[in-house]
Amino acid sequence: MQQYLKQKIPAAPLAVFRIGFGLMLLGSIIRFWAKGWIFDLYIKPRYFFPFYGFEFVKPLGNATYLLFFVCALCALLVALGWFYRVAAVGLFLSFTYIELMDKSTYLNHYYFISLVCLLMVFLPAHVYFSIDAYRNRRIAAAYIPQWCVDAIKLMIGILYVYAGLAKLNSDWLLHAQPLRIWLPARNDMPIIGPLFNKDWVPYAFSWFGCLYDLTIPFLLLRSGTRWLAYVAVIVFHVLTALLFPIGMFPHIMIVAALIFFSPDFHKGIIRQLSRWFRVPETTGTANSRTYVPRSYILPVFLVFFSFQILFPFRYLLYPGELFWTEQGYRFSWRVMLMEKAGYAQFTVIGKNDKRMVVNNNDFLSTLQEKMMSTQPDMLLQYAHFLRDYYAQHGFESPQVYVDSYVTLNGRMGKPLVSPETDLAKKEDSFQHKSWILPFNDTIKGF
Amino acid sequence: MKSFFEKKYILLLILTGLLWACGGGGETTDPPTPVDEGKDRKLILTHLADNIIIPAYGNFKAKLTLMVSNGDAFMAKPDMTTLTAFRASWVEAYTEWEKVELFDFGPAERQTLRSFFNIYPASEKGINDNIADPTANLEVPASFAQQGFPALDYLLNGLGTTDTAILAFYTTAPDAAKRIAYVKRLTSRMNTLLDKVITEWTTYRETYISKTGLDIGSSFSLMVNGFVLHYERFIRSGKFGIPSGAMLNGVISPEKVEAFYKKDISRTLAQTAHQAVIDFFNGKNIKTGADGPSFKTYLTALGAKDSATGQSLAEIINNQFAASKGKMEGLKPNLYEEVKTNNPAMVAVYTEMQKAVRMLKVDMTSAMSITITYTDNDGD
Repeated sequence: MQQYLKQKIPAAPLAVFRIGFGLMLLGSIIRFWAKGWIFDLYIKPRYFFPFYGFEFVKPLGNATYLLFFVCALCALLVALGWFYRVAAVGLFLSFTYIELMDKSTYLNHYYFISLVCLLMVFLPAHVYFSIDAYRNRRIAAAYIPQWCVDAIKLMIGILYVYAGLAKLNSDWLLHAQPLRIWLPARNDMPIIGPLFNKDWVPYAFSWFGCLYDLTIPFLLLRSGTRWLAYVAVIVFHVLTALLFPIGMFPHIMIVAALIFFSPDFHKGIIRQLSRWFRVPETTGTANSRTYVPRSYILPVFLVFFSFQILFPFRYLLYPGELFWTEQGYRFSWRVMLMEKAGYAQFTVIGKNDKRMVVNNNDFLSTLQEKMMSTQPDMLLQYAHFLRDYYAQHGFESPQVYVDSYVTLNGRMGKPLVSPETDLAKKEDSFQHKSWILPFNDTIKGF
Repeated sequence: MKSFFEKKYILLLILTGLLWACGGGGETTDPPTPVDEGKDRKLILTHLADNIIIPAYGNFKAKLTLMVSNGDAFMAKPDMTTLTAFRASWVEAYTEWEKVELFDFGPAERQTLRSFFNIYPASEKGINDNIADPTANLEVPASFAQQGFPALDYLLNGLGTTDTAILAFYTTAPDAAKRIAYVKRLTSRMNTLLDKVITEWTTYRETYISKTGLDIGSSFSLMVNGFVLHYERFIRSGKFGIPSGAMLNGVISPEKVEAFYKKDISRTLAQTAHQAVIDFFNGKNIKTGADGPSFKTYLTALGAKDSATGQSLAEIINNQFAASKGKMEGLKPNLYEEVKTNNPAMVAVYTEMQKAVRMLKVDMTSAMSITITYTDNDGD
């Protein structure tokens, strides 16, 4: 172990990662902005779903644009390695703040980005081929500890392996769900479309997808299989990008997986970049220096990764079917696992004989309504919002009931919550939500 | 170093090529099977457009034309005979309308046909104001309840308690000419709007059958959303939920039934609308009466079923439709009376239809994988 911690590696892989990651993030923000989603998702809705414990994180009205601008600027500065530490902290905080504003926009890859941003705050990604290193020779170094690069690999590895473990369940492997539902929807694609009408194809995709996730980090680690694995990364992610509306994630993973390549490969990239942009590759005297990170960083990483390894298993602490209750579902790399759709019609009843069937469109966006109607914690948050709203609008101590109906991976829909439960009186917590109706079916596996 | 890169790139190219070849090969060698045909959305869209939607508009156009000409005859010479003929063709056109109201996407949605044809209860005050002011704007949302079938209902059946009294409004009343002009304005306006929709369908048809995806803006997405919304809001709520008070504390509003002034056709209208939904779901050819490619065949080809019982989703939905239909058949033709004297039966229809709403909105939409949001998604 001591031996390992002393190993050093050229700084090039982390520098390339910094540039690629920063630019991909910059691109993501520009894309998000250009599509008008800042307004649609964070300004227009009347209500936002905060994460438990982060209720103070709210959109900032029109200043939300400023927040995105700061985030984009930090991403660019990170890519350039200019005021790197400040920019990395700014990127982590602004990006994480954005993702915490509304639960209905939660995506696993946003969580991944937040975590990598956090790692980047502590990693010496700016000591090589950066403006900081160019301007300040004292921080410039050609070598960094091996573990600084491995930390990123480990994070990527966790994402893949946990995503693979999550696929080891009966719905995915034995029933090819939800791909059996999603793939025929793309049967009008040119060339490969007709394949999706075949019954075996969803099975093949499911099994290969699972195998891919479970093995790809290891194949990328071994130099003998690395190129082949990287081809698989490209094919897999390009295919998912073509088939599913998953945004920037495939592109980010294709760029991120470059970290597994040898230092020579990354030096090649940097040499190419320095030729194109006519900038110096290294800073003379620093050619042989090794950067020494602060001593507190290793223990911090140890805690961080222990948490990452344990946290996705927290669902074991809850009774009931995970896919149904979603207790411990988020932040666990469960990607593309469920076709879940629902319907939730709320009735608010005041003590003063007032009664109202709520039209969700009055308060929620289509996306919010879709997410709320299948996720119990969001049902509850919305019920509380309705309770408070109608209490201010002439309803005496309002009771809130929901007529809910949810389908999961092609099963016939059924109520998620008993229509007799007064949600106004239930409180959210990390405890099991006993008011969720049982699933009455089993999905075996992780 | 250089050659190292080159070798790897060649390897990459070969592999990509191989994968591509594998993907392409499967497609060219396998002839389409009947199962594939069931999943071919272009076939479904073509059938729906050519054998249901467009002919249904054609049928409605014929009835509406008759209503307009009977209206003209009445306005030229308002008497008992012309009034009776006008009323009869109004009933027929209204009934036929119920068979096209569900196509509220594409041209009909662009022309907001439903809003101009069938928003009720009619606004008596608005109508009377418009009679006094022939330049009143009929294009704005505020005017929805002042035109279309409900407004004609008021003007033909609701002005007085007897036919003689009603006729007097068109003959001896001081503003009779203005009232006649307004009726004329309404019927021509309906005719013009429908013509626009029918004309647009001649070009929209191509777009409709070529947008075979399931994403936002695809024909399936627009059509299914419109179809479900129609069932939920305009049949379940509009025709049963609102008048019976099922959605509002049980406070009844019998005056909010469809065809409130004519009264005795309200059940028929509701039944016709409901049957049109069933027929569309099953792809019933308007011309031949035979079922064809449809939501039903698509769901069946997808293998959508209740995993607990093995029953197909299409069958479950059809059974639920039948249950709602059965409950409707138990009602008296006059839903106004029904709300006042036998409201639990009205609420029972609402409750039965609600079960179908859930299946259409959740089970069917999910089984078809219809996208309802445009943002990124990693499958929850």
